[in-house]
Amino acid sequence: MLRTYVIAFLIFLYAPITLLPVFAFNSGTVIAFPLDGFTLEWFAALRTNRELHSALANSLTVAGTTAVISVLLGLMAARANVRYRFPAKAAAMGLVMIPLVLPEIIVATSLLVVVVQFFGWSLSLVTVVAAHVLICTPFAVAILNASFQSLDPALEEAAIDLGETRASTFRLVTLPLVMPGIIASLLICFTISLDEFIIAFFLTGSDTTLPVYIWSLLRFPKQLPIIMALGTLLVLASILILTLAEWNRRRGIARAGGSDSGGFL
Amino acid sequence: MSLISLRGIEKYYGTYHALRGIDLDIGAGEFFSLLGPSGCGKTTLLRVIAGFEGVSEGTVTISDRDMTRVPPNKRPTNMVFQSYAIFPHLTVAQNVAFGLRRRSDLNRQAKDTLVEEALDMVGLGGFGARASTALSGGQRQRVALARALVLRPKVLLLDEPLSALDKKMREQMQVELIRLQRQVGITFILVTHDQEEALVMSDRIAVMFDGKIAQLAEAEALYRRPVSRRVAEFIGVMNFLPATVADGVVDAQGLGKIVVEDLQSEATTDGETMVGFRPETATLLFPGQDSEGRVARGTVSEVVYYGDMTYYDVRLDGCERPVRISMRNVFGRPVLDIGAEARLAWSPGALTLFR
Repeated sequence: MLRTYVIAFLIFLYAPITLLPVFAFNSGTVIAFPLDGFTLEWFAALRTNRELHSALANSLTVAGTTAVISVLLGLMAARANVRYRFPAKAAAMGLVMIPLVLPEIIVATSLLVVVVQFFGWSLSLVTVVAAHVLICTPFAVAILNASFQSLDPALEEAAIDLGETRASTFRLVTLPLVMPGIIASLLICFTISLDEFIIAFFLTGSDTTLPVYIWSLLRFPKQLPIIMALGTLLVLASILILTLAEWNRRRGIARAGGSDSGGFL
Repeated sequence: MSLISLRGIEKYYGTYHALRGIDLDIGAGEFFSLLGPSGCGKTTLLRVIAGFEGVSEGTVTISDRDMTRVPPNKRPTNMVFQSYAIFPHLTVAQNVAFGLRRRSDLNRQAKDTLVEEALDMVGLGGFGARASTALSGGQRQRVALARALVLRPKVLLLDEPLSALDKKMREQMQVELIRLQRQVGITFILVTHDQEEALVMSDRIAVMFDGKIAQLAEAEALYRRPVSRRVAEFIGVMNFLPATVADGVVDAQGLGKIVVEDLQSEATTDGETMVGFRPETATLLFPGQDSEGRVARGTVSEVVYYGDMTYYDVRLDGCERPVRISMRNVFGRPVLDIGAEARLAWSPGALTLFR
């Protein structure tokens, strides 16, 4: 009974995804069985699609910038949270983490109102990045909190005791030891920003990001196989990023001499 | 001339008064211990000397220089942390070489030699290339020692360095720390809650309670002449008997009358008080044995056999609480049984009168 349930669950979870590559290589334009024949036509179409390329470039720029800014902010917040005591710390940290559970539609709408109505700015990739940083920072904080918590404060004191300054201690001791956490949060923030749709849809101006571009393609049934091909590539990229993140996490644990607990894979 | 001089040190954490008027002088080349129960301020005091904690009031002088506001990286002190704080991302040799990084007067070869010497000194010769995460607790301790000693500090500060080790390893490291200290001739300041550890290793010991130094003395003097009941109870075992003082004579329950001059203690006022003696300063007389000195009578109420030693609890006649007596076992002599009649030979000179 349990076995049947697990198998049914896994099929429900992964069958749609396995359909992506099946139709990506199918020569028919209608997404239905039986299959017509094998083709690389749709992948070739991806290569020549200018709009797609610019959407992809936009998305990579937004995701990269978002990841770097979120992780920098997350580093500061996590370090302050773990190392220092200050007034209203619980409240401050709570407010930092709230975007994690805030409906994105709320964030998107309110930011749209603020940016357009209050400041009269025009929408651009910058506004998208700002909003993405808002929703990604809590993830970076959560991951980096764990990194700083497992870091013995005596390590930093030992470095200072041995003659280093606060700055060089951060560079020589703190940074290398929280690096696995930094890389993990960079990858997570990058991924979240890359496939975020609602905020991007509300806040992009003329430059669209990849998810928004894909959504726009859906209105044209003839374009569906191209989406399948694109989806196939995105699935491969996701698997690659996840594997990288996990490999990095395990290496970090091995390096610090700890034992493995939890993780993605 | 003292190497470290603390004057009027006060430390507050908010309203909590952690250190209360500490005055302390520690000499060059001394093995000094700060001993006390947890929360007594001993670690705080060590961190004040290291510079990790500022003081609310008072001055810290090291080698005639006022160090009160000098940060830890500019002080001639190095610390061995309780958790050892070995950098997990560096090898053993890189850990030991960490403090040499800023020594521009040394070339790479000279640094390597110093590191190798330091590792040899702590018995880790040839361990340099190993990952520091692959070491045992005792080995990590040694790396921490080498890492601090390679810098030849004027003072080595040790924060409960042996508390994470098992008993056997701890005893071995005690001997080794004494040997190291003699070899390098650097002042060692040890923080510990283990009275035995402090007695074994130190030249002088400061016993701390509630942020204050209760007694500062050499190990033997501390054991033999504790200044208060609290110190006496913290260092080893001491038997206490209620006593009354009147006209220069002490009347101790179970022991009888003693002239105050015969006791080891300062002048005292008349009234109710306590006398104390260590378990090994009185002797149980076995059948056939006699004593020239004073003998108290009672019954054996408990026997704890340790192999080489036996601890007897003896209830003296006219005394509520039993006293504990430790006796070295002699081959062929049977251990006394519970309920046996006990004769206790004691001498007034071993008694301490508490105020």
